[in-house]
Amino acid sequence: MSSESRASSSGDEASEPNPNPIPKPPEDQLAALALSETDSHANGVVHGSAGENNHNHQEIESDEEEVEANSAAPGLAEVEESREGLPRGSVGGVVWARTNSELEVDGPSSPSSSGYAGERGSSSASSGGSGIDEISEVRNEEVVDGFSDLQASWVPGKRHVDEDDASLSWRKRKKHFFILSNSGKPIYSRHGDEHKLAGFSATLQAIISFVENGGDHVKLVRAGKHQVVFLVKGPIYLVCISCTEEPYESLRMQLELIYGQMLLILTKSVNRCFEKNPKFDMTPLLGGTDIVFSSLIHSFSWNPATFLHAYTCLPLAYATRQAAGAILQDVADSGVLFAILMCKHKVISLVGAQKASLHPDDMLLLSNFVMASESFRTSESFSPICLPRYNPMAFLYAYVHYLDADTYLMLLTTSSDAFYHLKDCRIRIEMVLLKSSVLSEIQRSMIDGGMRVEELPLDPLPRSASFSPHLGQHTLSTDSPDRFREPYIGVGGPAGLWHFIYRSIFLDQYVSSEFSPPISSPRQQKRLYRAYQKLYASMHDRGIGPHKTQFRRDENYVLLCWVTQDFELYAAFDPLADKALAIKTCNRVCQWVKDVENEIFLLGASPFSW
Amino acid sequence: MARTGNKNIQAKLVLLGDMGTGKTSLVLRFVTGKFLEYQESTIGAAFFTQVLSLNEATIKFDIWDTAGQERYHSLAPMYYRGAAAAVVVYDITSMESFVRAKKWVQELQRQANPTLIMFLAGNKADLEEKRKVGFEEGEQYAKENGLVFLETSAKTAQNVNELFYEIAKKLAKASPSRPTGIKLHSRSQQNSRRMFCCS
Ligand SMILES: Nc1nc2c(ncn2[C@@H]2O[C@H](COP(=O)(O)OP(=O)(O)OP(=O)(O)O)[C@@H](O)[C@H]2O)c(=O)[nH]1
Ligand SMILES: [Mg+2]
Repeated sequence: MSSESRASSSGDEASEPNPNPIPKPPEDQLAALALSETDSHANGVVHGSAGENNHNHQEIESDEEEVEANSAAPGLAEVEESREGLPRGSVGGVVWARTNSELEVDGPSSPSSSGYAGERGSSSASSGGSGIDEISEVRNEEVVDGFSDLQASWVPGKRHVDEDDASLSWRKRKKHFFILSNSGKPIYSRHGDEHKLAGFSATLQAIISFVENGGDHVKLVRAGKHQVVFLVKGPIYLVCISCTEEPYESLRMQLELIYGQMLLILTKSVNRCFEKNPKFDMTPLLGGTDIVFSSLIHSFSWNPATFLHAYTCLPLAYATRQAAGAILQDVADSGVLFAILMCKHKVISLVGAQKASLHPDDMLLLSNFVMASESFRTSESFSPICLPRYNPMAFLYAYVHYLDADTYLMLLTTSSDAFYHLKDCRIRIEMVLLKSSVLSEIQRSMIDGGMRVEELPLDPLPRSASFSPHLGQHTLSTDSPDRFREPYIGVGGPAGLWHFIYRSIFLDQYVSSEFSPPISSPRQQKRLYRAYQKLYASMHDRGIGPHKTQFRRDENYVLLCWVTQDFELYAAFDPLADKALAIKTCNRVCQWVKDVENEIFLLGASPFSW
Repeated sequence: MARTGNKNIQAKLVLLGDMGTGKTSLVLRFVTGKFLEYQESTIGAAFFTQVLSLNEATIKFDIWDTAGQERYHSLAPMYYRGAAAAVVVYDITSMESFVRAKKWVQELQRQANPTLIMFLAGNKADLEEKRKVGFEEGEQYAKENGLVFLETSAKTAQNVNELFYEIAKKLAKASPSRPTGIKLHSRSQQNSRRMFCCS
């Protein structure tokens, strides 16, 4: 891996040049791309041991982790050679954190003899609800479709409506979410019927107001294995009760997103109802939206966008995405505030009028709302929605139309009269997309999938290389002289690389590799997801200070995280992976992402970049 | 589709009524001929078009199927403004939905286009055993308020085509002899409009 491979943005005669290079000093690009362990003593930040601050939640971390700080770095030389001549300024310290299997394994803690499975069985029969939170269910999925996707295994709908706070099964749920009013009136509950939970809501309300009256705020209460996280938003209280061992910060962000989802449906002007009548019952206003919240909550266990605050794109040839962007831009110039083309939760292209900027969290909430509401698939529709990060007080009007089973167009405007104009815009867009075969490219990309760890190129891609038709063209060849040692032959990528997520800070976008064996079952995917989530939280914990890198090994994985000014890389390796090789592999992943950035990211046209 | 010498009428039709009364089901039965046992609640409003040919005219319907959910009530004017015809739907198994339907009729009488052609549909007529609103009750109310009344079932298709056919005939009769397009009219911007009212 050397610097001549950097030239992803330098013009050449490759078929798909990037006319909009990311405006950052080119010198930094590869410099920042070199991760090494040579400076592991440099900032020696020890994760987890600095619990002395006012958030009690940080105790969790220090309790659980036995930290091996500043341990000597083996295999230094082999890493060195790969990054010779590169500046080291941006390279951070590596922290060794040996953890005692702190990662949550969802299932086994709930024995099926407790009546739990029985309860579940009966309630899922009546409500049609099911969840991957439950171990018995997960096991079924593993048997039935051992390679199924975590997203696909979820059945929408409210769960366990027959439960209330007196039911044993309700008490055993691993994760509860509640919305209630400051007078203690239930507004939403993930499990069970919110109306039957009035007594419980009143209890929560009493706790919150008890502390509020003392001029303080409750944020977190720990009770044994349970964390109770509170979020107060004016007259609306949000509460999460969880024994999933997710970090406090993650749970609080999930509550923020749930609140955002509520604003997307109602705007903040709902507060006025409480000003007029403190006993106001908000549940009718959220009628029919259970499915929107349950789908959002489900995404907390599979969608990295919920903790990364970034969006992800469907991989597409640069020219294809450009073609989609051009027609969207055309439409945006005619008075559309945002034009967004998505395929499931992945962005194909998006354009904002003038300086309007769209926050990734708003995109997450909007796409969740549209995808969860079956009604949008029936016909074109025109509905008020609020983007809480854009303007929490006002409605925008959304024209939504599905172009095929997974691909949908959203045109947002401030004008309630714009329907016919937006409909015309859609017809134009659809025509162009059909003619330029963008729609068929989208479908092909859906089938091909994205980056796969097994396809991580050994050597930098030649500049003529393109992502298309698929990344697979530079697969690891077994007799390559530069072959990595693989602990499990034929499983995962080089050096035991199992999975990675790369987040471009500047673009607000991330790319996640496809799940492949051994991370194949929904349960394993969720476990990895939770591990990333925890890693993210620890890297972003202000109380501890900025981490640059983190290296953790436990019985499930080696996890490596690397944060620079430009990107964040999260990678999971075989637990037996060699550290030096893992680091080397991370450098290669970053290089690979750079090489194919034209196809995996939306560049240039993004309203985020203004 | 239009025959020569025939009138071509483009007409905006809006469906109003409490949630779950079967507005979407009625429209889908008319437009696609199908019925779904589990029809999802509508968000905002859904838009459909359908052409109906009569001897005397060809009617192109622009159909707004509005959401019955309470939070969307105050948005209704956005959808019924400029409408040539409205169908107010209730569910014969729910007195509450009939009460709600009367409120919609009052609102339309006050706010909508005075030439608006109004229909009252008592839907789910197939659920005779669960009936809460008598046929006469609906008929009587319609008569008093100058509405055309029908009991329908999106499930069995009873009176569904008849409903839209009757609307089309009324529109053909009411419309001037030249081809016309009745479209959504723009309304002054009211950015601070509230979506729901607080009781
Ligand atoms: N038995 C019976 N069920 C019906 C009939 N029409 C609708 N339904 C059912 O009633 C439920 C609600 O129907 P929708 O068409 O979604 O009602 P809606 O008025 O559009 O509801 P909103 O969109 O929430 O305002 C669905 O489960 C339908 O299957 C009918 O004529 N007979
Ligand atoms: Mg409907």
